[in-house]
Amino acid sequence: MDIQNTQSQMRKGVLEFCILSIIQQGEVYPSDIVEQMKTANLHILEGTLYPLLTRLKNAGLLNYRWVESISGPPRKYFVMTEEGQQAYQVLHKTWKEMATAVETIIAPTTNPIVNEAGAAQ
Amino acid sequence: MKKVININFQGRILPIEEVAYENLKQYIESLRTYFDKEEGKDEIINDIECRVAELCEDRLKKGSVCITEADIELIITSIGRPADFEAQEGFEANESANTNQAEPAAAQTSHITYNKRLYRDEQNKVLGGVCSGIANYLSLDPILVRVLWILLFGISFFAYLLLWIAVPSSSEKEVGGVRKRLFRDLDNKVIGGVCAGLSKYFGVKVLVIRLLFLIPSVATTFNWDHFHLFQFWDFDDFPNFIGLTFFGPGAIFIYIVLWLVLPEARTSADKLEMVGEKVDINSIKNTIQTDMEGFGKRAQAWGGPFEKRSNNTTTASDSNTTSNDTVLEKRKGCFYYFGRTVTILMKAFVYFVLGIITISVLAALFGIGVATTGLLPLKKFILEDGLQSWAFIGTILFFIWVPVIAIVASIIRKIAGFKKANIWVRSSFIALWTLGWVCLFYFISSVGNSFSKHNQPNEQAIVLTNPSVNYLEVTATPKMKYYEQRWFQIEPFQVFNDDTVRVRNLKIRIVQSKTDSFEVKYVTMSNGKTIAEANSLAQKINFNLLQQDSTLFLDKGIAITKNEKFRNQHVIMTIAVPVGKRFKITNKGWSQTNIRVNSRGIQSETMNHFGGDDIWVDEWNENWDNESYAYDRGVEYKMTTEGLEKIKSDYNAIYNRDDEDQDIDDLEQKLQKLKEDRESIEQDLEKTRAQKMQELEKIERALEEKKEGKKESKKEAVKVKKTQEIAATTPTGLSKVAVVAKKAEELNLLIQRFTY
Repeated sequence: MDIQNTQSQMRKGVLEFCILSIIQQGEVYPSDIVEQMKTANLHILEGTLYPLLTRLKNAGLLNYRWVESISGPPRKYFVMTEEGQQAYQVLHKTWKEMATAVETIIAPTTNPIVNEAGAAQ
Repeated sequence: MKKVININFQGRILPIEEVAYENLKQYIESLRTYFDKEEGKDEIINDIECRVAELCEDRLKKGSVCITEADIELIITSIGRPADFEAQEGFEANESANTNQAEPAAAQTSHITYNKRLYRDEQNKVLGGVCSGIANYLSLDPILVRVLWILLFGISFFAYLLLWIAVPSSSEKEVGGVRKRLFRDLDNKVIGGVCAGLSKYFGVKVLVIRLLFLIPSVATTFNWDHFHLFQFWDFDDFPNFIGLTFFGPGAIFIYIVLWLVLPEARTSADKLEMVGEKVDINSIKNTIQTDMEGFGKRAQAWGGPFEKRSNNTTTASDSNTTSNDTVLEKRKGCFYYFGRTVTILMKAFVYFVLGIITISVLAALFGIGVATTGLLPLKKFILEDGLQSWAFIGTILFFIWVPVIAIVASIIRKIAGFKKANIWVRSSFIALWTLGWVCLFYFISSVGNSFSKHNQPNEQAIVLTNPSVNYLEVTATPKMKYYEQRWFQIEPFQVFNDDTVRVRNLKIRIVQSKTDSFEVKYVTMSNGKTIAEANSLAQKINFNLLQQDSTLFLDKGIAITKNEKFRNQHVIMTIAVPVGKRFKITNKGWSQTNIRVNSRGIQSETMNHFGGDDIWVDEWNENWDNESYAYDRGVEYKMTTEGLEKIKSDYNAIYNRDDEDQDIDDLEQKLQKLKEDRESIEQDLEKTRAQKMQELEKIERALEEKKEGKKESKKEAVKVKKTQEIAATTPTGLSKVAVVAKKAEELNLLIQRFTY
């Protein structure tokens, strides 16, 4: 079995959910997403974030807005669309169910309260 | 001191170092390649560019004068390179990312499977690290690889240099996306993509590389000694020519090694690296120079691995955080690479065989094509006019030359990397070839029909002028050599003039005579479309013999005219030899005049020639011929009641026919020289004798004058001495003359024997 591969598959699975949940909290600039995830001890390269955002945008889950900045040209801020909200709700529900299920299986006695960061680690 | 330039990057004016700018440009370029297939690729790249510009501006705001190389490096690292995207394919937890950076690069290559690449191993190197790199890559012991490498030293030396230059060092690893690397290019492959990869690497046209591999191979193929097809009938050499000399073994070996060793360019990052940075003399020199530093020390330390070997597994697992991983990985790697090696070797073998078959078919067709085209002038003597002739021409054109052209064209296309020929070209080739098959079948059947019947044999006797000789030698009328060039010698035909050719199809049987004189009988044979035709052709054969003393001269051959086609006319001659008498069938005349002789005794020899005399043997004489004796040409036999008895053979002379011709010349020259010698010696002798005689006379005169003198006795003594001298000279001179004359006579005899 390829552990490395499984690891990366697991991470990949929750990545989009994490990003969506950050954007869901409000309009956000991509590098802020990287920062927020970093504080949660999750590392993502901007090089991988941009394509992901573009993909989500093209799928209609996100939208963007040009925001004037003091220092230079306008910056691209991402917001969630109506469709994105719905998708987020579905994913959120799935995540909760799955986290509970996984926790129950690996440690039946402990309290099944999990947050994203803990799960990813 | 560094040059700074100003760039307008995503709406921002940035002062940037020129080197940093180059790096940035290269980075963006690599992104462009990486996201090539991505939908909305321009948008992604635009976003990333914006971000880079923003980060650069941050730097400047913090007080930097310009963007330096280090700044760009930092920014690129934070955003990530294509290789990193692929490695992560998502994101990594903090812990794992840290360990990856901390670990030595070599361990990392074996750690991450989908990023496994061939690197020269800086840590365990002796010379350039190629062997240990390969060992690492194949999960083998470096010592094993080194030993194998040394065993195959001759070829591997060059391969080592090549790989040394081509394979990146493990210390250069993190540069990724910039360094050029050697891959097999599967997009443009013909066999394994090795040539295409090399051409990308060196920036040379793929055609050049392919030719470099192909020319040494084909050069041996066309080695004239192996290419006997041009000698037309000598088909026995055919297997020789597809033998091991076919491919330059070196070229094919290097190809297989590279096929095995080089990774395929799978991802777009790989493809990027495949064309990557320019490799010039300087970079090669630098690589080698840096690698050679401290070579001595490392060579001394090379003994180390033997001791360390036992600890290898533990150290390896120690260096990895996930120890189980490595063990699993190694085991899997072994099977995988073993399997891959086997597959590649199998493939190489299959391509090798296919290559041989293609080239042999090509060469055979080409040879037959040349030969048959050369036969065209003789067509009128064999083929019926009209459809049969046209079928022959059609066969040559469409069945032989069309595929030759098609194969050559497709090989050239493959090598040059062109697309396949379009459907029209291909289908017209196929149509023409089909036509060729039709022609061939019609031609074979119609010619077969023309030869299908043979005449009823009718034995005739020849009356010899002197049948009771003790010794009979059978030879041919010399000497009618037509074709001088050996490579285009069309036996058994000899062109007499435009309308007639001569065929020397003759079989000589030797039987025992019941009387005490030689008897000669012959049967004329022919094939034909009908028995009547065969009979008439056989009757027209005019067979003559001429006896001079004990030599029997054969005729020039059977005349074939345009009207009476060649239908395998031949003559079977039977010589009845009385018991106790000798005979010889000479080889000389026939070899010179291309007469065809057959007997049971020499079949193995004549089998070598295409259309060997077996064709002329038909069932009639197979059944009938059980009383004749086997014999060899050029051997003198004596007929006894039990059979033939060998007397003497002049085989050596036969096989060195050319030398023999020269011998005659030599001998003649020697004879000439000896004659001259004799003359000069005789002249000398004459001179000396005259001189001495004069002296003698002088002394005698003096003697007479002084007869009365007192010194009479002394004079007498002088005279005696002189006379003795003359007497002594004369016999020596005479004996010399005799010797020379004897030699000359011997030579004369020899020459007479050779020239008859």
